[in-house]
Amino acid sequence: MADNEHGHPNGAKKGLLWSLYQLISNNFIFQSVFRTGYPDTMLKRMAVMRSSFMMHILPTKVGIHGLKLYYTWCMGGITFFLFLALTLTGVILMFYYVPEEHRAYQDMKDLYFMVPYGRILRNMHRWAAHGMVFTVIVHMIRVFYTGSYKAPRQLNWVVGVLLLKITLLLSFTGYLLPWDQLGFWAVTVGTNMASATPLIGYEGPFSDLLGIQVNNDIRFALLGGTRVGANALIRAYVWHCVALPLLASGMMIFHFWRIRKDGFSGPL
Amino acid sequence: MDDYTLEASKEAPSRRRFLVITGWTSFGAFLAGTGAAFARFFYPGVLYEPQTTFNAGKPDDFVAPAHEGEVVVDERFKKNQRVWIVRGSDGIYVMVAVCTHLGCTPNWFPGEQRFKCPCHGTNYNTQGEVISGPAPLPFYRAKIKTAPDGSMIVTTGLLGIKRAALQYVKKEMIPTFTKEEQADLSQPPFFLPHTA
Repeated sequence: MADNEHGHPNGAKKGLLWSLYQLISNNFIFQSVFRTGYPDTMLKRMAVMRSSFMMHILPTKVGIHGLKLYYTWCMGGITFFLFLALTLTGVILMFYYVPEEHRAYQDMKDLYFMVPYGRILRNMHRWAAHGMVFTVIVHMIRVFYTGSYKAPRQLNWVVGVLLLKITLLLSFTGYLLPWDQLGFWAVTVGTNMASATPLIGYEGPFSDLLGIQVNNDIRFALLGGTRVGANALIRAYVWHCVALPLLASGMMIFHFWRIRKDGFSGPL
Repeated sequence: MDDYTLEASKEAPSRRRFLVITGWTSFGAFLAGTGAAFARFFYPGVLYEPQTTFNAGKPDDFVAPAHEGEVVVDERFKKNQRVWIVRGSDGIYVMVAVCTHLGCTPNWFPGEQRFKCPCHGTNYNTQGEVISGPAPLPFYRAKIKTAPDGSMIVTTGLLGIKRAALQYVKKEMIPTFTKEEQADLSQPPFFLPHTA
């Protein structure tokens, strides 16, 4: 076997390990996955980041200030990590939970007392949700204090604000799902606030102009009725488990892509 | 030959332009229609909620208060209809059990002759007026009609129809009733005079 592109750092002695490496790497399968060869030059290192699916989320080059913990606090990364944890635990919880008036609360209790590891999964989901709201706000504060919202990153700030809203909406819709007193009345109060929206809420100003009533306003669309009931539960469930996570994922993809294009902001 | 190309190049853009405008207009109309249908989808045609007009039974089904100035609040329709049937010493009225602050269901405390909301602590008196707390308005009142057999037909108006049509609605945003409002509320359809 001739030495392939996946060469060894220059001048190193070719021993047993080197032969083993040749055996593993000198074939089509290995080279179709790891395309750039041994990353012994700056160019190859950058090529590794560019051509790998797992690595391409990271920049090929980053200023040393951007890696310092006190600069980023890692809060954006932690938020993303918590989002992944929430997606994973949420999907697992969906195997037991049924969003139906007479079952929702019982299923939540079953998860807590009857399902093996159900309690820790539900608590992981719950605390990760609280944590995500916290970290996303701290991330926003960091971006503000380091001035990272300034040009050319204004658009990403706006996307970040929308992601904060989606995080809060995910939190709010998830609040109803245990179908307990706390969530039920929180959602009653929250949707009654929506009924005070100008023009499209039946108790809001100018709603008379559009003929908006309790059965055709924005609150009705949220609840699927005039009171918090079965329709409201299934609506919260679909928003919480499907629509909002998809929306959040799409916007996160854009958010991260934008960070890659703009790079980390410089030191103050 | 030159004339022919010139003629064609004059004519071709206008046809292309026509098709472009038609095409994009149709596509825009399709998107707008789909969007409207998507929005309309969220407003179902049938609701499986309790009737807003119901027979509450005869006035004598409700207990009269033992002492002058007190009321007896009946909660048998609270769960399904969200109303209290209140019997005072001279008649009956129906209050909607929805806190006017943010829509929670207050509780009745007979010993104190008060309603209290568990969410943010608003207290109401027996007339539904706010004594303390954040609620901006007294309780809404439902209409009472009398059926030929003497039973009370209560219309709560919680569903489908604007409150103004079926319930008593105040003109001003104040947490108590004015003299005129008290006069309105002490006669039908918001009050059913009845003595034992």
